[in-house]
Amino acid sequence: MKSRRPTKWVTWENVGVDRIACAWLIRKYIDSNAAFVFVSPQQKTLPKGAEPFDIPGARLSHHRGHCSFHAMLKAYKLNEPILNRIARIIDEADTVQEVLLEPAAAGLDLICEGIRLVSDSDQAAIDRGALVFDALYCKLKRLEEEGPADRN
Amino acid sequence: MKQWLMLVYKIPREPTAGRVYVWRKLQQLGAVLLQDAVWVLPYTSRTQHQFQWLATEIEEIGGEATLWRSEFALDGQEEGLVQRFEAEVNETYRQILKALKGRKANLPALARQYQQAQARDYFHSELGKQVRQTLLAARGGSSGEE
Repeated sequence: MKSRRPTKWVTWENVGVDRIACAWLIRKYIDSNAAFVFVSPQQKTLPKGAEPFDIPGARLSHHRGHCSFHAMLKAYKLNEPILNRIARIIDEADTVQEVLLEPAAAGLDLICEGIRLVSDSDQAAIDRGALVFDALYCKLKRLEEEGPADRN
Repeated sequence: MKQWLMLVYKIPREPTAGRVYVWRKLQQLGAVLLQDAVWVLPYTSRTQHQFQWLATEIEEIGGEATLWRSEFALDGQEEGLVQRFEAEVNETYRQILKALKGRKANLPALARQYQQAQARDYFHSELGKQVRQTLLAARGGSSGEE
């Protein structure tokens, strides 16, 4: 499995919360040398040898109401509480959910769409967006380490 | 002329869970049922995104779905559809306003209801602004937004 991990990844242009998060996850946990290609949804054939993500029908995309970030955690067996929590936040930010448990979701969605708007390219958007997910991860981890409030 | 998105789908009768699942998501989005299984939303990049993934989900549970972007070709029909969207969200807004008049209005719950309604308020209803102002006034302190 490990040796077959691709170094080229392809997704649709105009990235939003799910794709920015996926790119962060890929570079941080799956493939530190990852190169990203962004194609128009109208493009019929995807570049050869590139692993597609967050494109309808792809292995690494939405499945059963979960976001592509969630699919990546499963595919690469990244079973870590903080990453699972981030997956839940992105589920709520990017897909229609009846049960909303993560107030950060709506804000994160807006901020990621805004990051794309203030960036000249999708590449710049995923580069800048990485800071947002580093920050989210760091704060969630800190909250977990602090644990529940003292009973005494 | 506005652009609209139409999701047309077919889903196996059994198991019923799949049908209910899709129907509830459509409700959540505030989509309007035009005909048997023709659901419509005003076109935005956001609704396109939501419908695109819903179509994928429908196919995943064994159904078929096509997503269309369209415009009215007959004059005078569009207004009626806009009014259907407005009527649905305004009904929720009226309920919130009514509850806000009560002596023991549950402000956090009503604020959540407002947030949910606002996500479906595709045509920016005036009533929505009124609900927002009333909620802000009801919380005490200075009223209204700066």
